[in-house]
Amino acid sequence: MTTLITGGAKCGKSRLAEKLLDNCRGRKLYIATMKPFGEEAFAAIERHRKIRAGKGFETIEKYTGLDEIQISGKSHILLECIANLCANEMFENEKICDPTEHIIRGIEHLRKRAETIVIVTNNVGSDGVDYGSETNKYIEVMGRVNALITGISDNVAECVYGVPVVLKGRLEI
Amino acid sequence: MIMITGGAYQGKTQYAENRFGLTDDDITDGNTCDISDVANARCIRHYELLVKRLIMQGTDPLEFTKNLDMPIVIMNEIGSGIIPLDKSEREWREISGRAGCIIADKAIEVVRVCCGIATVIKGETL
Repeated sequence: MTTLITGGAKCGKSRLAEKLLDNCRGRKLYIATMKPFGEEAFAAIERHRKIRAGKGFETIEKYTGLDEIQISGKSHILLECIANLCANEMFENEKICDPTEHIIRGIEHLRKRAETIVIVTNNVGSDGVDYGSETNKYIEVMGRVNALITGISDNVAECVYGVPVVLKGRLEI
Repeated sequence: MIMITGGAYQGKTQYAENRFGLTDDDITDGNTCDISDVANARCIRHYELLVKRLIMQGTDPLEFTKNLDMPIVIMNEIGSGIIPLDKSEREWREISGRAGCIIADKAIEVVRVCCGIATVIKGETL
């Protein structure tokens, strides 16, 4: 079962995603894509850690290349989040690249090893601001990646200030 | 409490006026109102901008929001873009998100307005 949770910043996406895995038994993996650089990233990571505490997740930090993650057996996976992964892959080298295919391949790699996978992404294209070519490209790639993940997901929901709005399939909460 | 949310200029205030028979005098504006008067209002719009003003005057917006008791709260969705470069803008966006979650949690009904069309996303369908 693959579920995608999207929404704006700080609108309860993680909390919802974790809730979806509450009733899953077996190995639970949390794949974190946010690089722990800078004070604000630390604060965000610490906050997410507190929310997850006691829920039995093993954490794997992987900032790029999801297809390199080795997992034996089937797990319940929470992948968070595509916006960071996409930025990390796109701007990793001096010359920006289009990581769309690589990201989708990585997700497919995880899906094969997951009984349940909940993927958290972000809506980044709705503020109407022109940020210049590189960031505009990022917004474009994010839009495409999100649409492709939707295509392979059983369920998709957008989180609006903590309220899930189901766009595809259904959520079992 | 009823929450009305959605992007900018989607018809949120119009919806509140039509549904609840409000006039402009009934609706206080989070951007310009006297903060001490907020408690007496029937409806507030631009709650996200009230959050910004609360941060600036050193009041904890989350505590303020937890204690808020108002029939109708109109609040823009502001988080669906690129992370702002400016630290105070980032802080505002983050705290607004959390404040919005508190309001939505307290609300018996959450309505989202898009292109003038209202969808009830929490609570009873109209």
